[in-house]
Parts: sequence; structure tokens; C-alpha cells
Amino acid sequence: MLQTAFNGLVSGVIMTLPALAVTLLFGVLKFPNFAVGAMMTVAAYMVFALNGQLGWPLAAATATVAVAFGGVCIAIDQLTFKPLRGRGGITLMVASLGLGFILENLARFAYGNTARSFAIELARPFRFLDVRMNREQMITIAISALAMTLMWLLLTRTPVGRAMRAVADNPQLALVRGIESERIIRWTWFIAGVLLAVGGVLIGMDRALEPPMGSNYVVGVFAAAILGGLGSALGAFAGAMIIGVVSELSTLIMPPNYRIGIPLAAIALILVFRPQGLFGQPYIRK
Amino acid sequence: MISFLVLLGIVVCFSAILALALNFQWGLGGMVNFGLAGFYTLGTYSCALLILKGGANTPVATLGAMAIVAAACAATALVTLRVTEEDYFAIVTLGVGEMLRLVALNEDWLTKGALGLSGIPRPLGDVIPADVYVYFLLGLSVALLLGTLWVLNVLARSPFGRIVRALREDDVVAATLGKNVLWARVRVFAIGGAFIGLAGSMHAFYYQYIDPTQFTNIVIAYAFMAVIAGGRGAHAGAIWGAAAVMVLLEGSRFLKDVIPALDSDRLAAIRIIIIGVGLILLLIYRPQGFMREYRLQVELK
Repeated sequence: MLQTAFNGLVSGVIMTLPALAVTLLFGVLKFPNFAVGAMMTVAAYMVFALNGQLGWPLAAATATVAVAFGGVCIAIDQLTFKPLRGRGGITLMVASLGLGFILENLARFAYGNTARSFAIELARPFRFLDVRMNREQMITIAISALAMTLMWLLLTRTPVGRAMRAVADNPQLALVRGIESERIIRWTWFIAGVLLAVGGVLIGMDRALEPPMGSNYVVGVFAAAILGGLGSALGAFAGAMIIGVVSELSTLIMPPNYRIGIPLAAIALILVFRPQGLFGQPYIRK
Repeated sequence: MISFLVLLGIVVCFSAILALALNFQWGLGGMVNFGLAGFYTLGTYSCALLILKGGANTPVATLGAMAIVAAACAATALVTLRVTEEDYFAIVTLGVGEMLRLVALNEDWLTKGALGLSGIPRPLGDVIPADVYVYFLLGLSVALLLGTLWVLNVLARSPFGRIVRALREDDVVAATLGKNVLWARVRVFAIGGAFIGLAGSMHAFYYQYIDPTQFTNIVIAYAFMAVIAGGRGAHAGAIWGAAAVMVLLEGSRFLKDVIPALDSDRLAAIRIIIIGVGLILLLIYRPQGFMREYRLQVELK
């Protein structure tokens, strides 16, 4: 029970970074980006290319790819989403779906369907209060905590973060105050790219590298972001933890194959009973 | 070559029915369905299981599959009770679709899991000689496609069709005019679902063997591509769109002969990449598609 709860905590922690990316992207761009899963896959394979094939240490490979992938995300945005800006959520959503297909299958084309894993040396798991924790899980928690802290500082303490929140809140008003939204959108994509790249590596460490690895997380990540209230960074964190722990605990009473049912039920319940999510702004329609 | 064209014709027919169903839900009703692959799986397996385990004959099984998918879609549409934004609904359909595919993969006692179901009988399969059967199946497929087109056209032009289009444009206005928004959404999604069930049944009859790997995301990709290419809301456009996409997809099989280095996984990957790129290019350069939605024509003097 305690062990399961701890495992759930770790799988929740894994989801915090992508959930944060989803909520940032939604806040600034106003559409749910279904390509986030495939983006994590591609970033994880990029890290695999450096780490598994060229023999770089995982940390160095991840740091390099994270920065590079931020750039890749800006390029993707310029190519696909910029020409569609202002076209309405549905068009952008379908475009992101198409983008997800392209990215996932680029990874499949390059590396095939065989599962791969990063080159990390094995370490003995250690015990604390009868709970077995392995080293990857500790690294996951440490990295996510660090990233969350940095994100919080970035959003609240820097001009870019303030500008991002302003654009998310009201782009016209932000423009009046001299905040150029295209520049902020580029920043948002860069940050999301870094978060997704690190998230992809964490998933790859937890499970294995295979083309659908990222897409498998999409429903869970969106459930986390919606549960916390789309657009709320704190909410994304809380939502991810709740979804992670509840999904893992659910395997005690139902077959683990249907774990995806938990985020799905969470979305359905939240939409019917509390559409703004736990930490979101109350929901107002035009 | 002739038999290849006949088989291609059958595939185009049931893909076109699937595209018409998506067009009805999304093009006409504005309810985006990212769980299409899952609902399609549900339709196919329902039809096959009703025959193999339920002992139904083929028309009854088809109607049963249509009813089952319609019910599943209706239940899914209920989540729009309070939140009617497409974004949230899209995520819900994605999750439901994923769930349905997992059921097909994991419930071995019912669906035989990854092994799949084989030996699905075909309509009038024991009456019509095997060598001319594909022609009969082609005729049946064309008839069902035309029937679907007719039904959906009638619905689109009925008062119900007008409410549905009004919802798509602005559901608040429709609600202000006293229309029951939730009920209309449930109905439009369920009707679309029934035709997804029909397409799924035909899939079962055509392949006679089904397994979970047949229902990957490529189903969603090509259906959306077909609807966008055809022009959202344009029924005839969805058919032409589906035909174009399927010819492209089936045609890309010959790529293997041109570039022998491609294995089947890579070929499958390339086909989806092509569809994805096409989808985005269409959205950027020709978002209105190639055909127009039906509009009431008013004579101007």
C-alpha cells in the first residue's frame, strides 16, 4: 500500500513537467496541444542518440537536448502554428494532432518499434520505512522539484514570466502595454520544449523508449492540467500528483491495463461538477 | 489489376462512410471526435461478436453494432452538460477512444486480445459463389454509401440539421432561442456514431479477420484528412476526400517496390507522416477544403 502510494507519487511527479508545459501552452496559445506526447518521444530519442549511441553521460545529453529542443519547438511553431494563429481552437487542435502523428512516426521511422533504454548504470534500490526506492525514482523527484522551483521563479520573478502571464490573461491588454505577443509565444515554446524534453527523458527512464511512449501520457497529462485548472501552474502540479497517486492506487482494485480510466473519469467528473478545475479561475462564458 | 481496383473500391466505400460520420459530428455539429479509432473498433468488434458469439445474422449484427456505437457516443456526449468548449470534449473523446481500444486488446475472454477474431461470415456469403463475391460486396458497399449519404443529406436539411449547424456556430445563441443544446448534441453525436458502427461492420465483413492493430491512429488521421480536404460540412466532399486519401494510402504500398530498403514498419510510418503533413498543409493553405457545404439557395431576381 505504502509502496504503491510511493510509486504513484513518482508517476505523478513524472507528469508534472508535461502538465506544466500543457498548461503554459494553453494559457498563451489558447488551444490544447495534442502533439506534446509525440514531442516528448522525439526529445527522448534525441537524448538516446547522444546517450545510447554516442556514449554521452545522460545528464549532459539531457541538458544539451533540452536547450536544443526548446529551439526545435520554436521552429515547429513558426512552421505549423504561426500561419494558423487566430484561426480558432478546433483548427489548431487538429493541426496539433497531425503534428503529433508526424513527430511520432519520425521517431518510428528512425528507430523502429523496438523498445530501447538509456545507458545508465544499474544501482541497488534503497529502503526507507519499508518502501523500496530506486535511484531513477530519486533522480526523477529531484529533477522535477528543481524544475518546478525554477518555473515558479521564472513565472513570478522575471519580466518574461510576468509578460507570459499577462499575455495569457489578456493578449490585447498586454499588447497595449507594449508586450509583443509573438516574442512571448516564442519564449513559451522554448520553455515548454525544455520541460517536454526533460519530461520525455524521465518517462524513458521510468519505462522504455518506444514510439508511443509520449502519446500514452497525453490523456493523463491533460487530465492533470484540467484537474488543476487549465492555465494554472500550481494546479498542473497538484493535478499531476493526484492523478498519479490515484491511478497507481487504482491498480490495487482493478486491472492495471485500464489505468487510463482514472484520468478519463477525472476529466469527466471535473467537467460536470467543477469545470474551472481545482485552482483555475471561475469559469465565465461570453 | 481489376480485382485490386474492386478491393480498393470497397475500402474507399467504408472509409467514405466513416468520413461522412465524422463530417456529420464534426463538420456539421462542431463536435470534434478524436476517439474515432476507438468507436470504429467498437463497431467492428460488436458486429463480429454479435455474429460469432451472439449467433446473429449479418444484417442484425450490423444494426446491433450501429446501435451499440450510437449508445456509446451518446453517453460520451453527455459530458458536454456544463462545458461546451470543443477543447475539453476533444480530450474526452481521445480518452474514451483509447479506453475502447484497450478493451479490445485486453479482454481476452471476449475479443481474444491481440490474437484477434477470425472467420467472420459475410452477408450472403454462403449463397453467392466465391469468385464473384467481391463484386457483390462492392455493390453492397456502394449501396450502403449512397444510403448513408442520402440519410445524412436529409438530416442536414431538416429542422434538426439547422439546429445542429446553429450549435456549431454559436451554442449560446441557440440556447437563447430555446433550443435544447445538450439533447441536440447527444443526438448528433449518436447519429454519427451509428454510421461509424456501419463502417466498422463493413470493415469486419471485408477483412473477415480483425485484431487491435488494424485500428491505429491512422484511422483518425485519414478521416480528418478526408473531411478537411472535402470541406467541413460538405457531404459529397467527404466522399471525394476519403477516395483521394485511400487511393493515396493504398497507392503508397507500391513505394515498397520503388525503394526496396523500406520495411513495413517504416512504410507505415511514412504513410502517416505524409497524411500528417498533408493535414497541416491543407489547414494552412486551403482550410475551406475543395467543396462547399450545402446552403439553401435563394433565388435573387
